[in-house]
Amino acid sequence: MRARWILLTAALLVGTVATPATSGPVIDWDPAYFYEPGATFSNSVPLSEMKIVGIISAFGPPLAFLDATDLSKDYTFYIYGLISNGTTTIGPPATQFYVTTYTGGTIEIYEGTPRDAVFDPNPPNPNVPSTFVNGTLLLSGTVSNFFTQTNNFTPFMTGNSEGNIAWTGGSLIGHVGGAANPCPALFTGGMTWLPSVNIAGYLFRHDGKIDHECPTPTQSSTWGRMKSLYR
Amino acid sequence: MNRSIPRLLVALLAAGALSAAPAPAQAQSLLFDYVGFDYEFPDLNGAVFGDIGDGYQGVGEVPALFGPLVANPATYQYTYYFDGLTASLRQTVGPFIIIDYSGPGTLTIYEDLILGGTAADYGTNPPNGVAPPTFVDGTAILVGKLTNFRFLYNTTSNTGSFEADFEAIGGTQLGNFPLNQRLGWTFAGTTGNSTTIPTGYDHQVDGQTFLNPPTATRPGTWGGLKARYR
Repeated sequence: MRARWILLTAALLVGTVATPATSGPVIDWDPAYFYEPGATFSNSVPLSEMKIVGIISAFGPPLAFLDATDLSKDYTFYIYGLISNGTTTIGPPATQFYVTTYTGGTIEIYEGTPRDAVFDPNPPNPNVPSTFVNGTLLLSGTVSNFFTQTNNFTPFMTGNSEGNIAWTGGSLIGHVGGAANPCPALFTGGMTWLPSVNIAGYLFRHDGKIDHECPTPTQSSTWGRMKSLYR
Repeated sequence: MNRSIPRLLVALLAAGALSAAPAPAQAQSLLFDYVGFDYEFPDLNGAVFGDIGDGYQGVGEVPALFGPLVANPATYQYTYYFDGLTASLRQTVGPFIIIDYSGPGTLTIYEDLILGGTAADYGTNPPNGVAPPTFVDGTAILVGKLTNFRFLYNTTSNTGSFEADFEAIGGTQLGNFPLNQRLGWTFAGTTGNSTTIPTGYDHQVDGQTFLNPPTATRPGTWGGLKARYR
């Protein structure tokens, strides 16, 4: 009898533990560019604002019905309001790392017609961010815990960045859990400040994505139902 | 005469300045974009990532390919597999670790039919019955050699990046690459924070590979060559 209850308890626990789906990114871009007045790869001025503009190249579930290759549209995103807390330098002169954290941030994802987003140099300018924020607002959200990491010794001048997203609005909010209970999302990816792949006036070129981190739905149940299931 | 000398000097200086000015850098071109997960095999010390002797591998999808590669994503799925990398040096700088890998490693892109092919499947605890096998079936369209592979990781944020030199050395589409344009580089961001990481994999990987501009050539004549070596 006791063994039966242990089995039942285990089964119930398995049934209610949220297991993440192992899928690809919900949004992938290629590329995005960061810009921030006065900032360099190794130093960000405290309280300055970083912004990011990007062109989305692919969608995955639950937004897989969107076609990023449709030449009549562009899918873009804009992140603003990332306020720098300054850069922390770690390590001896030969192998220094630079970590910059940011407070706040808002992300907006747009579907626009025609395909006009362009990374003109030295933003802000007449086309940046304007060509990234025209069209229909598909999703909006708040960004938190955003940071960048760089260093002074890798030949291709690479690093990475990451932040959390909480969706709050947009016409497709229902596809990411709904306004009342939106799924969390993770902004992540690598970046480089190598001049030969960068554009004048931008801080970093970024290759990244957003992961949809919605737990697998669970079904509520009762002990009575569970017991009857295993009798 | 007196007036013509300064003019000549100015002209010579201008010519010198022009020849000394650095040539504008040619942009590097994006060759392909890749997204997947990494793992260690063999993993000599499961408690330490990048321990000396650990093998480093990765599998995933290639959502975007660019010229000189030719792709047909409506018909084929494109996947990648990298291997051949062994952790040879591990340094610690504050919360960061710097891992250098000996190799050379190999990064291969495969083309497999969507209909009738085998869908890529990560499974769990790689290597396993489906990974890498479902990522390495089909046609190897590009084989790249990876050297100077270096992985940086922040153990506090649980994120990092890697980079390496890349050289196209094989695959059915190697012929698309001019002989003087097969060199490039690759990099990726990595994170251990994503809840989409399948059990047994270490990090999510999102990367790109760039091709360097063609190596410059200089026109010459047989006569000029012979004269140089007389």
